[in-house]
Amino acid sequence: MKKFYFGLIIFFVFLTITGAAPKPKVHIKKLKNGHYQLMVENKPYIVKGVCYNPIPIGSNHEYDWWSDQNKPWIADGKLMQEMGVNTIRLYQCHENTEEVKQVIRDFYELYGIRSILGHWVGFWEYPCPFYGDKDFQGKIKKEILEMVNLYKDEPGVLFWTLGNENNYSFSGRVNAWSTDEIDKDPDPQKRIFMRAKIYYSFINDLAKEIKKIDPNHPVALGNGELVGLDIANQFSPDIDIVASIIYRGKTFGNIFKSIKATFDKPVVLSEFGADSYDAYKNLEDQNMQAFFLESQWRQIYENLANNPEGAGNCLGGTLFEWTDEWWKHNEYDPQGWKVHDIESNWSNGSYYFDIKAKGNKNMNEEWFGIVALSEELENGINKRIPRKSFYVIREFWKNPQLKAQGTRHKAQDKK
Amino acid sequence: MKKLLVVLAVLIMTLPIYALAQEPVATEEPTAEVTEKPKEFVVYADKNARVNHYIPSGWMGDYGDIKLNDQDMQSPHSGTTCMQFSYSAKKSQTQGWAGVFWQNPPNNWGSKKGGFDLTGMTKLTFWVRGAKGGEIIQKFKVGGITGTYPDTAEVETGPVELTDTWKQYTINLSGKDLSYISGGFCWVTTADLNPDGAIFYLDNIKFEADPSLKPEAKKTESMPFYVYADRSSINNHFIPSGWMGDYGDIKYDGASKEDPYLGDSCIKIVYNGQAAQGARWAGIFWQNPANNWGTVDAGFDLSKATKLTFWARGAKGGERIEEFKAGGIMGEYSDSDSASIGPVILNQEWTQYTVDLKGKDLSYIIGGFCWATNIDVNPEGATFYLDEIKYE
Repeated sequence: MKKFYFGLIIFFVFLTITGAAPKPKVHIKKLKNGHYQLMVENKPYIVKGVCYNPIPIGSNHEYDWWSDQNKPWIADGKLMQEMGVNTIRLYQCHENTEEVKQVIRDFYELYGIRSILGHWVGFWEYPCPFYGDKDFQGKIKKEILEMVNLYKDEPGVLFWTLGNENNYSFSGRVNAWSTDEIDKDPDPQKRIFMRAKIYYSFINDLAKEIKKIDPNHPVALGNGELVGLDIANQFSPDIDIVASIIYRGKTFGNIFKSIKATFDKPVVLSEFGADSYDAYKNLEDQNMQAFFLESQWRQIYENLANNPEGAGNCLGGTLFEWTDEWWKHNEYDPQGWKVHDIESNWSNGSYYFDIKAKGNKNMNEEWFGIVALSEELENGINKRIPRKSFYVIREFWKNPQLKAQGTRHKAQDKK
Repeated sequence: MKKLLVVLAVLIMTLPIYALAQEPVATEEPTAEVTEKPKEFVVYADKNARVNHYIPSGWMGDYGDIKLNDQDMQSPHSGTTCMQFSYSAKKSQTQGWAGVFWQNPPNNWGSKKGGFDLTGMTKLTFWVRGAKGGEIIQKFKVGGITGTYPDTAEVETGPVELTDTWKQYTINLSGKDLSYISGGFCWVTTADLNPDGAIFYLDNIKFEADPSLKPEAKKTESMPFYVYADRSSINNHFIPSGWMGDYGDIKYDGASKEDPYLGDSCIKIVYNGQAAQGARWAGIFWQNPANNWGTVDAGFDLSKATKLTFWARGAKGGERIEEFKAGGIMGEYSDSDSASIGPVILNQEWTQYTVDLKGKDLSYIIGGFCWATNIDVNPEGATFYLDEIKYE
């Protein structure tokens, strides 16, 4: 009888302990082998995502698609569901909160697709993001906490992402900002460090504040490549996820192991991909895009938790992007928004099939969609035409065969 | 008598045909399917030997610095003749390097169909000696001709320091796709490696089928591993061939005598900041092989390295280099990682800099070293010096 009472006591103590600390709805689980998993409602979740910005033909980035009466996300969500997409990445929410909620709810309730909600963290503020200025920080913090308060109870929210490639401003080459103290230091390497320290400290402060009001969703740091992550390691300990933007062709290189060594946080590839236009041959090449994307997804899966041959710190990715955007070649030319431009603005040798294009400019910004847009309208929106990548990734997700180190095995995919 | 003459005439006419049919060549018809399994395929045996299959017609770089005696009879390795090359290193075409490709047909840089199907061959062997010994050939190579009809493989060995006696070298081709090779053999060297020129001899160049030969395992290089030691050093493993941005703004001297940090020479770079190509920035990548932007599978395994060190100084002090980098070339064959430091403001005195490589994956490095800078931070240009660039 004594044994029975003792057992009861242990049972109630266990219940009290577990009951006192319920797991957040979405959280990071660190496994015994040091690998990471994203847990959603206590189940492992691989982010199989796309960056979503459905600008129609003839409009530019200022177009308010959230208010579109034709609700493009309804058709898109259906196609995404067919493909196996479980997540969309939204760079920044619209001002009309009810419309934002409707989009998040439609995606989740109709198709089971969750949303990563992002914020630019003032990166595009005019004239520049004054991260060293307390008033500027206060303004941005207010915006971000408002966003969290507004949407944290939406069941479709997956996690928050702060910034995108804001770290490129540390060198002063993009959206340069500074402070008097930084300007006084003659050493350019120190100036980079000082900017990084200010920015990553601010990000950490934001992460802590977000967690006070929303313990149910992780906070990700948006970061261009791995630049500055060694400094983030010192000043952003409260960040849960690194959301890295990587364009390295068929491989992500050593980034998974490198992040493990410099800033041991789980990684989501928050922007990666390939365009579908061969700038050398001057024709659309869907095979080229599919080749790169399949290779990229394979590497993502090789580095998910519980693959002994991978780094085990990858949570998935959101590829760039769902649909083409016809405005990107020249955002100031309304006539150009109606034309699917084939001119390239930049070069990247990692996408080597068309690197011999004139001036080595091989990256076609208007051709990154895995779904093409037709000028023909269907239910009021540009008709969606899935490219080969759509089908190749769909098949890969269904049956992810890996080739790491000469062995073939199935990746962990519980969802 | 008439009958005898007719018989003799027929005999004379048929002899060459018979001889041709006996040749143990892989295939006489370009890209034709191999029907037999010959044991060798000759590039060069002797002057006018019928078994020769390629012609040393592809003179490259400072071609005016090259002289060829293709029937040197003083002391061939075998047969009656060998080839004598004299390289004067006078930089006649201001290139600083020169070389010769054995091609089929002559002068074919990939514009014509002329490759042989050498499937089944596993190595190329050749004999070479220097006139004095100590001559340095930067590389010997098989394949690598591009163009409309590109070679299916490119394999090289080097640098090689020659001895004054005949020595045989082997290029392992096992596991390589040799289905189309129009550039059968090649040598390249530089004026920096041979400041006083070089005379050397080649003989008995041939492909061989050795089924026991296995593909060459990737070798992990031992440390230190030099990018640049001295102008003539055989230890220089990368070529400063990747000129970027405003390449017209750069002058490169890999044999500067202006106060080298160590040895007899250092690198002097003059960047004039004129934006010759309109890019407003410039830089140089040291590559392996030259001009490899990730198109050739030729990365070194530098996994043992924990840092890259180099010495640098500015002509005046205050010159700003935005980035010094190891790795980072991206292409079909990408560097396995990259690491960098910068911006760096140079001192007038030699200063050592270190790029930390701990935790980096250096198992495959094509781009051994790189610098880049721009007009905005050097409005009046920059002259600077580099020396002792090495992985440790």
